[in-house]
Amino acid sequence: MSGETVSPPSQPTGGKRQSWAARLYLGQAGIKIHEWRRRLFVIAAALVVISLGSIAIRGFSFGIEFVGGNAFHVPAEVGTLIEVEEAVADAGAVVVSGQELGGSDPQYMIRTLELDSAETDRIRTELAERFGIDASQISDDRVSAAWGGQVTRQALIALSVFLALVIIYLIIRFEARAAIAAVTSLFLDIVVTAGLYSLIGFEVTPATVIGFLTIMGFGLYDAVVAFDKVHENTKDITASATDTYPEAANLAINQVLIRSINTSVVALLPVGALLFIGAGLLGAGTLKDLGLVLFIGMAVSFYSSLFFAAPLLIELKLRQPRFAAHTQRVLAKRAAQAAREARQREERTARGDAEPEPATRLTLDPALVELAGAAPKVGARPVHSRRSGRRRSSGARRG
Amino acid sequence: MAKTPPSAGRPGRQLLVLALVSVILFALTFFSGTAGMSWTERLMPRLGMDLVGGTRVTLLAATEDGQAPSGDALERAREIIESRVNALGVEEAEVVSEGDNRIVVSVAGEPENALRSVGDPAELRFRKVLDQDFGWAPPTGAPDDGTGEDGEEGTDDESEPAEDAEEAEPAEEAEEDTGGTGGQADDQADRDSAGSREWGTVEERRAAVREKISDEAMAAALAIVDPNMADPTVDTDALLEAVRPFGELTGPEVAVLPAKLQFYLPTITCAQLNARPAGSIADPDELAVACDEEGITKYLLDTSKVLGTDIAGADAVLPAGTARWEIALRFTSDGQPKWTDLTREALNNHQATPFDVTQLAMDVVIDEETGEWRFDTSPEAAEQANRYQADVEWLQCGAQSVGNQGNCLVAAVLDNRVISAPEIQAVITGDARIHGDFTAAEAQVLASQLRFGALPLTFEPQEEQTISATLGVEYLRAGLLAAAIGMALVVLYVFFYYRLLGVVILGSLIVSSLLTYAALVVLGRGIGYTLTLAGIAGFIVAVGIAADSFVIYFERLKDEIREGRTPRSAVPRAWIRARRTIITANVVTLMAAVVLYLLSAGQVRGFAFALGLATVLDLLVVFTFRHPLMTMLARTRAFLSPTVSGLGRALELDRAQRARLRAQGKEVEA
Repeated sequence: MSGETVSPPSQPTGGKRQSWAARLYLGQAGIKIHEWRRRLFVIAAALVVISLGSIAIRGFSFGIEFVGGNAFHVPAEVGTLIEVEEAVADAGAVVVSGQELGGSDPQYMIRTLELDSAETDRIRTELAERFGIDASQISDDRVSAAWGGQVTRQALIALSVFLALVIIYLIIRFEARAAIAAVTSLFLDIVVTAGLYSLIGFEVTPATVIGFLTIMGFGLYDAVVAFDKVHENTKDITASATDTYPEAANLAINQVLIRSINTSVVALLPVGALLFIGAGLLGAGTLKDLGLVLFIGMAVSFYSSLFFAAPLLIELKLRQPRFAAHTQRVLAKRAAQAAREARQREERTARGDAEPEPATRLTLDPALVELAGAAPKVGARPVHSRRSGRRRSSGARRG
Repeated sequence: MAKTPPSAGRPGRQLLVLALVSVILFALTFFSGTAGMSWTERLMPRLGMDLVGGTRVTLLAATEDGQAPSGDALERAREIIESRVNALGVEEAEVVSEGDNRIVVSVAGEPENALRSVGDPAELRFRKVLDQDFGWAPPTGAPDDGTGEDGEEGTDDESEPAEDAEEAEPAEEAEEDTGGTGGQADDQADRDSAGSREWGTVEERRAAVREKISDEAMAAALAIVDPNMADPTVDTDALLEAVRPFGELTGPEVAVLPAKLQFYLPTITCAQLNARPAGSIADPDELAVACDEEGITKYLLDTSKVLGTDIAGADAVLPAGTARWEIALRFTSDGQPKWTDLTREALNNHQATPFDVTQLAMDVVIDEETGEWRFDTSPEAAEQANRYQADVEWLQCGAQSVGNQGNCLVAAVLDNRVISAPEIQAVITGDARIHGDFTAAEAQVLASQLRFGALPLTFEPQEEQTISATLGVEYLRAGLLAAAIGMALVVLYVFFYYRLLGVVILGSLIVSSLLTYAALVVLGRGIGYTLTLAGIAGFIVAVGIAADSFVIYFERLKDEIREGRTPRSAVPRAWIRARRTIITANVVTLMAAVVLYLLSAGQVRGFAFALGLATVLDLLVVFTFRHPLMTMLARTRAFLSPTVSGLGRALELDRAQRARLRAQGKEVEA
């Protein structure tokens, strides 16, 4: 991802079109979320259906924290994994799985069905005796079945409280529709991440649940960054009749895209390191579980903040009479403008002038309309380049 | 909107604030704390048990109805557990309450197995023994016991009732008897019940019992326990055969049965009774049934007239000139008269009212017409269940259950078990002594059970973790390595993307790290914050947040410069706009961290704390370091050079595009 966003420092000025990366860099990726709205909603709905379906049919594979059980960590220097598993079984535990963990000091992790404290202690002592090591070199972890439930219950409470706070905050910060859009996209993040976990069959542990809660923060973070720009671009939109709300919002998304990519990349890099060390070096445990869920969740929230939250916001805004009326007004003005242009063109055609631009393009492209008076615009140039030009001028107006 | 903030032109002032904060933090790092600390101690953040090895036990308060206990009760329990831990001689132990129903005990350093038992059930009740039953072999084979029969279940009917009992008497007198030896048999029941720690609500358990016990079985059970309901035409063997299903109930299910059934049904074994959830017989006003630790003797117990909270202290003592350990029991000023009354009652058994089993209320009823049985869930029935209906002052203890001297036994009941049932030898107006054939260790255990019996709650260990020192070091190394890789990747990326402006990020990451480190040391000393593996993960994730706020700022700056501003005017403008976004984003993250910290369970809290701390520090660094640095950089020529800064490149790209557009425009015009 990072490679694509970086373009060579100097573009040949004579080139027909700049590379996609350079346009992205300049906020002109040509994304039209306001026009792709329906399609994006269908994609989101499909993702949700697949996720929910997988959760309903396949369910999750839960870690020992949810079913209860013990895990013993024995230094690998004592022998082979098989030997250690046998030793644990001989000591009276029911071995569920054995795994070798890497690192500079490799360990075997043996999982067993749940034992009580005294039993756990006895097994540790027996293992130590059998392998001639000190009992303090053996680590163990005993989790009751109720613990996972407890963690999950608390997580759900935290989730509800967080959502409530965030909705209030977003309503104060933006307004109710933005809050709805942001929170809905948060639900999408959560459902899709859960769905991926279910579909791929990653193990769900309390650390996963924790990570899940953190994703919410990130999902909103992304949405806030995007909405902030939308908010800024559309602040006084009803006062003028040049842009419709969807267009202005779309422009904001294009401008914010590179920032979102960067934000996501710099957030994903450390998490990737976490995942790399957790899964690659240690093989199991908190770091891996956290890293994995954060990685997946952040990637999902990157998508959803741009391609679900923003179109949803546009959709919701258009339900608002003020913006609906405004959009009508802008379109009407444009139609009138187009009609005028058409008349002029007919006059010109009558005079025998060449007219390279088809009329339909003019009615469809508002930027072109706006710029039509300033300079004769011709040829199929990317729409966004003109957008950026207009934005500059509007920025100057504001300043 | 375009107003320049007053501080924008004076980056020096903001840097000064940062310097001040740093100086204070590092001064605290170096010079706070006790005088005797070595430099390494001063400079080490407090590391959690998962990074240096150690033991952690998470205890969940178990209440009958599943509700959270009161804050007071939890705090009292925490203090008691803390004193237990300290009594073990463990250093650097940390006992904290978490959420509204958990206590976490952790000890860094060597794994400490003794910690596992600090939360062991200890709701102490003193109850007079009304009757006892020394295990009873059913007429036809052993009952098929679903919860796990320990096989050792007593068949020693012939043993004399009080032969095995300890005795309690005034502290001055000395008389001893053989005592019970430590329980091994009950461990089996423990293990067997371990898998079913989720035992469901009372309603669910009642439903399960209703499912397993047929109408016939219940009718037979009532016929056994209640002479009035007995049908003389059915012989005892048939009745006993009919109640066999009771042997298949689990401990938690047995717990919802009336005490009367628990005691009189021979198919309900001690293994089942000892597997009842903690707190099942906590109500002092109800009669109760409990077994001894060995799971041999089943006791029918009177209401509880002396509680654990009445005990001021208990010590294992070895009287001079003897080789027999005793337990000296002291009572609080409130508790002393209650204890005296109880001993008087035990000594004057002849004055007491004989126990009449029909007076013991129960909440099981049989429909007379259909013969179906059900639990009577009416409030009155629930209120009266297991209470003695007739208004009597003292209930007589049965002839079977008096000691050698013909006095009643008083059982010390810890949670669901009788830990000691000494015969009362005198009316005790002062301290009491329990004699028995104790080993030093047994005496210590019993004394500590009695001493800390005041624990207001019962706990179930939810998570017990011991980490060896080597594994801890391994985790620490892995965590730091992940942090280093994460940071390096971020720095590489920003250098690649923003060129030399990456220096600003590198600088602020270094400043953040130093501040974080100092904050960790200070917080570790000040509020006892320990850095755990999850905490390290939190800081790693926060690296992304720190870089994020830079990205937001920088992209803003890029927008401003492309609109044709000079760097000097663009920096403050971009700052004003970016600031709003940065604050919003950080507030959201902070909110998530705080909510997580306050409401979640387990290691999350370390993670949430780290995330929150790092977010606050990020805000500090953004305001007092990154922004002033950018302001100063904006005055340099290199700021806009495409080869040096990413900003210049943005400008160049933009210029190139405009030039091309112009060229195209001209082309058309031409």
